[in-house]
Amino acid sequence: MAEKESQLDEFEQIYFLRDRHVRFFQRTLQVLPERYASLETTRLTIIFFALSGLDVLDALDVIDRNTMIDWIYSLQVIPTEDESNLSRCGFRGSSHIGIPYSKKGPDVFHPYDSGHVAMTYTGLCSLLILGDDLSRVNKKTCLAGLRALQLEDGSFYAVPEGSENDIRFIYCAASICYILDDWSGMDIQKAIDYIRGSLSYDNGFGQGAGRESHGGWTYCAIASLCLMDRLDEALSQRELNRIRRWCIMRQQSGFHGRPNKPVDTCYSFWVGATLELLDVFQYTNFDKNRSFILSTQDQLVGGFAKWPDSHPDPLHAYLGLCGLSLIGEADLRKVHPALNITQRAFEHLQQLQQTWRDSSNGGCNGQH
Amino acid sequence: MSGLEETSNDLLKVKRDQELDADADEELEDDFLVDSTRYLFYRERKEWADLEPVPQDDGPNPVVKIAYSEKFSDVFDYFRALLKTDERSERALALTAEAIELNAANYTVWHYRRVLLQSLSKDLREEMRYITDIIEEQPKNYQVWHHRRMVVEWLNDPSKELDFIADILSQDAKNYHAWQHRQWVIQEYKLWDNELEFVETLLEEDVRNNSAWNQRHFVISQTTGFSDPVVVEREIQYCLNQIKKAPHNESAWNYLKGMLQDRGLSTQPGLLERVQELKETHCSPYLLAFLFDCYEDALENSTEEEQKGTLEMALEICQLLAEEKDTIRREYWRFLGRSLKKKYGNFVEPTADAQEPPASVPGHQESS
Repeated sequence: MAEKESQLDEFEQIYFLRDRHVRFFQRTLQVLPERYASLETTRLTIIFFALSGLDVLDALDVIDRNTMIDWIYSLQVIPTEDESNLSRCGFRGSSHIGIPYSKKGPDVFHPYDSGHVAMTYTGLCSLLILGDDLSRVNKKTCLAGLRALQLEDGSFYAVPEGSENDIRFIYCAASICYILDDWSGMDIQKAIDYIRGSLSYDNGFGQGAGRESHGGWTYCAIASLCLMDRLDEALSQRELNRIRRWCIMRQQSGFHGRPNKPVDTCYSFWVGATLELLDVFQYTNFDKNRSFILSTQDQLVGGFAKWPDSHPDPLHAYLGLCGLSLIGEADLRKVHPALNITQRAFEHLQQLQQTWRDSSNGGCNGQH
Repeated sequence: MSGLEETSNDLLKVKRDQELDADADEELEDDFLVDSTRYLFYRERKEWADLEPVPQDDGPNPVVKIAYSEKFSDVFDYFRALLKTDERSERALALTAEAIELNAANYTVWHYRRVLLQSLSKDLREEMRYITDIIEEQPKNYQVWHHRRMVVEWLNDPSKELDFIADILSQDAKNYHAWQHRQWVIQEYKLWDNELEFVETLLEEDVRNNSAWNQRHFVISQTTGFSDPVVVEREIQYCLNQIKKAPHNESAWNYLKGMLQDRGLSTQPGLLERVQELKETHCSPYLLAFLFDCYEDALENSTEEEQKGTLEMALEICQLLAEEKDTIRREYWRFLGRSLKKKYGNFVEPTADAQEPPASVPGHQESS
């Protein structure tokens, strides 16, 4: 009894510091010091974490939507006059290549300018969160750029000039196709084959065949299959039950990403959302999960860190919030577990997609 | 006297040159006299005067702007200038090394460096030494490992890889990039011979190293395979020995189950008995979960007569796990018990705890 009481005390003492988190994301959106240099090429993902974080907090009113939308669109790779760079289209992570901001029309060919699949994904999500109608997105070229990234084995590169290839970029590709409501951007069957091939003997998913199973890659696998609407087709009930077991065993207090590794706030989302997609998140221990996430909260500057007494960063701040949202924390918006945006932003997307379908049905061609 | 005059003339000459150079830093001439070993920005270097630096352009309202020092901006302004004209030169190659030192995560710099290495036919063994040093400093960066893989491929020489990766793993035995690179090298160049020995060394150092267990499965499945009963029995014995040394080890149990789950856990001769024995002295949630899985497998393959006894044992395990041995997953074990009962328990009287609590009700977990 006494033990239970002190557990409740602990539970009550950890307050969720909403306003600090709002300010944490606001500061993230402004200026970061030079020691964040390694984030330069992925700045668009940082914007996504901050914007989606503010959305989950229902605090988007603190930002200037239009200037932010313009900035995001400045990262879209414009097709050249002769369309010779289609395979390089999509969104960039930042202005690091040096393309002038105000370039709007078709440009001269730049030998090294290209999009990055994770930036196209987070760019589209960020636009949706800001309430944009995606009308300035060049869907044709984004999808052309996407197709150019898929390999024979079904996985994707991040960039057309080549990079590592694995399941993370399948997830980005699936999200892009889902958002644009157009699966011509990828060969679904090949992607499914790669995903199945990444299923480990221990029933989690690795980054590719033979590799160690991991909470992040398991999320990418399951979320991709859900977005493709092929979950039950790609995996048998027996396999799904085994995957459920692997995932639910990740809870130690919060969640870790691999057996015998320490717990880390971000896995409260990666594994939590996977469990939600597999309909068994309800069987996890919400209290212990919540206690752990809040133990990584930075009381001074806001945000969350991967571990207690560590420095917060935008990724863990965002995913910590999403982890709390999954367990129904008060005053946090619900998160769409496969797309990783709020339900609100998702509903905006659904409305947009309905408009697209209506206009294409009403149009001369009536083609999908 | 003449020395002084000459110096005066030199001063005048420098001054005139500076005046002619429109981009001259006004402070330069003083510093030039005081300290000729001062770091020179690229914009101050004569050998770079032909190139127009290209600044980063984030427009009027930059988002997540990183505040770079003068030195950082200067290096990258010239990097962008080189990219624009796709210059292929020694000076470009040298600059990429400086850019990498400032931001080793910039994948465009690495790509451009690779283009230059090939264009200038550089010594790739020199490059191997270079990338070795960089990875030692930054072993969790995707770009550096990808670069190393490219150089190994160009050289078609994996001879340094296994030792190098072993060294990285000695600093962090679970580095996912290192293990991935190791698997690639072994598979690509067929270097299987000593890998099982390597795995065993690591498991001796830390029997809970999940990456090493994964590698064990990788090696065996790609060499002897798991169909040979001699191999299977050897591996079962290996697992049980490790479990006796460290019972609370999910990795060992995952390996055991993973190896056998598709050939019928309950049909492996003598295994169930050995595990039941271990239950008395080396119990763990993983052992109990394994027993549950054996019973579930048995239920699938037995007659209705046999099922009753097996179901009772399985449900006992669920209860033990839920109430005592794995309470964090209480709801999950209860759920599994209910599911099993529903499937096989037609003849069992419905009891109070067979009722399913309401699913997805927010806050229903507060009492746990």
